[in-house]
Amino acid sequence: MGSIVSAIRGGPGSKATVARAIALAKETELPLYFLYVVNLDFMDRVGSSRVHVISEEMHEMGEFVLLAAQEEAAKAGVEATGVVREGKVTDEIVALCHEVSAAFLVIGRPRAMSGDNVFTDHQHPEVCRLLESETGARVIIPEAD
Amino acid sequence: MRRRIRLVVLLASLLAGALLLGVPRAASRAQAPEGTAVITGTVHGKQGQVVEGAAVRLVAQGTGDELEGGVTQADGRFALMVPETVPDDLVIHVERAHYEDMAVVLDPEAVEGLRQGQPVALPDIHLLRQVNASFWIATLIFAGMLALIGLGKLHNTLTALLGVTLIFFVSYLGGALNHDLFILDFSGALRYVDWNVIFLIMGMMIIIAAVERTGLFQWLAYNAYRLSGGRVWLLIPILMLVTGVTSAMLDNVTTMLLMTPITVQIALTLGISPLALLMPEVMASNVVGISTLIGTPTNILIGSFAKISFNGFLSNLTPGVLLAFVGLVIYSELVYRGEIHGSESEEVSHLLLERLAERAKITEPEDLKKAGVVGAFMLLLFITGEHVHLVPAVTAIMGATVLLIWTRPDIDEMIEEVDWTTLVFFMALFIVVGAVQEVGLVSVVADVIGRLVAGNLVVAILVVTWSSALLSTVIANIPFTAAMLPVVGYLTATVPGAHSKVIFYCLSVGSGMGGNGSLIGASANMVTAGISERAGYPISFAYFLKKGLPALLITVGLGTIWLLLRFIVFPGTAT
Repeated sequence: MGSIVSAIRGGPGSKATVARAIALAKETELPLYFLYVVNLDFMDRVGSSRVHVISEEMHEMGEFVLLAAQEEAAKAGVEATGVVREGKVTDEIVALCHEVSAAFLVIGRPRAMSGDNVFTDHQHPEVCRLLESETGARVIIPEAD
Repeated sequence: MRRRIRLVVLLASLLAGALLLGVPRAASRAQAPEGTAVITGTVHGKQGQVVEGAAVRLVAQGTGDELEGGVTQADGRFALMVPETVPDDLVIHVERAHYEDMAVVLDPEAVEGLRQGQPVALPDIHLLRQVNASFWIATLIFAGMLALIGLGKLHNTLTALLGVTLIFFVSYLGGALNHDLFILDFSGALRYVDWNVIFLIMGMMIIIAAVERTGLFQWLAYNAYRLSGGRVWLLIPILMLVTGVTSAMLDNVTTMLLMTPITVQIALTLGISPLALLMPEVMASNVVGISTLIGTPTNILIGSFAKISFNGFLSNLTPGVLLAFVGLVIYSELVYRGEIHGSESEEVSHLLLERLAERAKITEPEDLKKAGVVGAFMLLLFITGEHVHLVPAVTAIMGATVLLIWTRPDIDEMIEEVDWTTLVFFMALFIVVGAVQEVGLVSVVADVIGRLVAGNLVVAILVVTWSSALLSTVIANIPFTAAMLPVVGYLTATVPGAHSKVIFYCLSVGSGMGGNGSLIGASANMVTAGISERAGYPISFAYFLKKGLPALLITVGLGTIWLLLRFIVFPGTAT
């Protein structure tokens, strides 16, 4: 027994990831967890006093993004659970994979642009290797993302 | 017990601020005892600005004896008492760091008058600037600070503090070795800190902290959606209006911090790209935010420096802002017409809509009511306060204090809500800008712009509005505005017809609306992009430039038209 963890960010960039995770859940009949990681690095330039207020709002936004993915899953007849965490993306992915004994980890392809919360092309193979060794789950990256 | 002590400390500091700002200061004019012959005069810089802190010595030229000495006051004036025995050859030496020394010889007629106990008023003394090593060092420090802030390599506050540290390091250690390295000492630096600005921002931060927890923003955004009936063409202007009005009353960054997540959720519910709503919102925040004195930090800086009241901004700027807002709405509708038409075929998610409705509730109705009452009272004081010389900072402090006492919040949380780093940033910024003022960089810039403008008010309006708008796209607008204030002050004093303070309004329009020109043009842009990117909708530099630059041209263009109409075509209507 295991599960599927799919780390998503929302938006068009996550469509293929969500679809692949749902298809995999249907195929394997494993429980599906969508993960959204709140990362507030961009607040460094704004001021620490606002972090806790925006943190609540970002959690709500994350839940909303997951709800949209869960709705997508429900349409395909798959019941999915949404999990919102706050922190470093890789750390939170690893933590959830351990918690739910993930057998598969579905993540998106890197973006062309760099950012605080995305894996660049350069980092991606390394991150995938790290995630596989840390979680024991098989990392799946959908083709078209 | 600890909380009570902290509350008392916070309230005491607010009260101290109110007293500091509210009590009229003693006249700074130099005065001399009655019945004594005195020599009075005023020391100015080359551009007519008064020079404070210049050492003035009365010397007997023949013997070289110093008979009397003094220092010019904040208004540049000095008064020297003359001894009972008056020598024939009197000369007045004026010395001030960063200026050439000046000697004024008293004519025999004046000396005779002094012997008879008559006061002598000297013609204004004009000092010439001295460009030495300190000029270049201070300029380099200021430019480095702007670069570091612009590149985001170091936190703004740390950058400004680094600038202050370097200035003091060079002044105290370098200045001890070579006087040409002296820039500014500590007491001189404190003179440049504008406490009106610091306390006004602090007071408003407390008010904002009380409002942001009430769920007001979420409620407003959801009701904007309801009012539009889900029609995107209508939702865009409603959200722009909500964001704009909120930005005019609170600060732009807080407004966008709280509006962006809920806007993303509305867009996802409608099945459209959140950027179609977020870009118009943040641009409206930058434009409408400048319509009031308290809407942006740049307006707070301008208002305090130029003594422009809340009403001054309302009557001289708000109509122009509304004009620019209308232009921005039309532009946004055109730019995002694809999303608007596309949304008609999208089906609204009922699950997401239910969730949206669940969240759109006022979570702290009692606190919101109290904040509303205090806010209305403050607005009344902002508008009427100028008649009793009540400065906006005092109104903000009084409002914050009343709200704290009335709502009795957790004082630890409230202290955390005050963004001390921003306050420290402003203090440090004032000192760094003071340093470049002290060494004469600001005078050089003022001189160059003054020559360019050549005494023509229309040219001055165009140059200041557009140069500040375009520069604000690449330079952080707060330090830029702080540095430009004395330059604009010089233009206001020298350009015929500029006494209406129109050039200060130009600076407000340029630095505020100029923020739309690029992603780094305003902090609100960065915050919006940061949140949007975390929802899977990144706003790249190129994307912002493509959408924002035309918006800048339209809004600043309309703002300029308004300023020309108000102050050039119909100058009688300006207040």
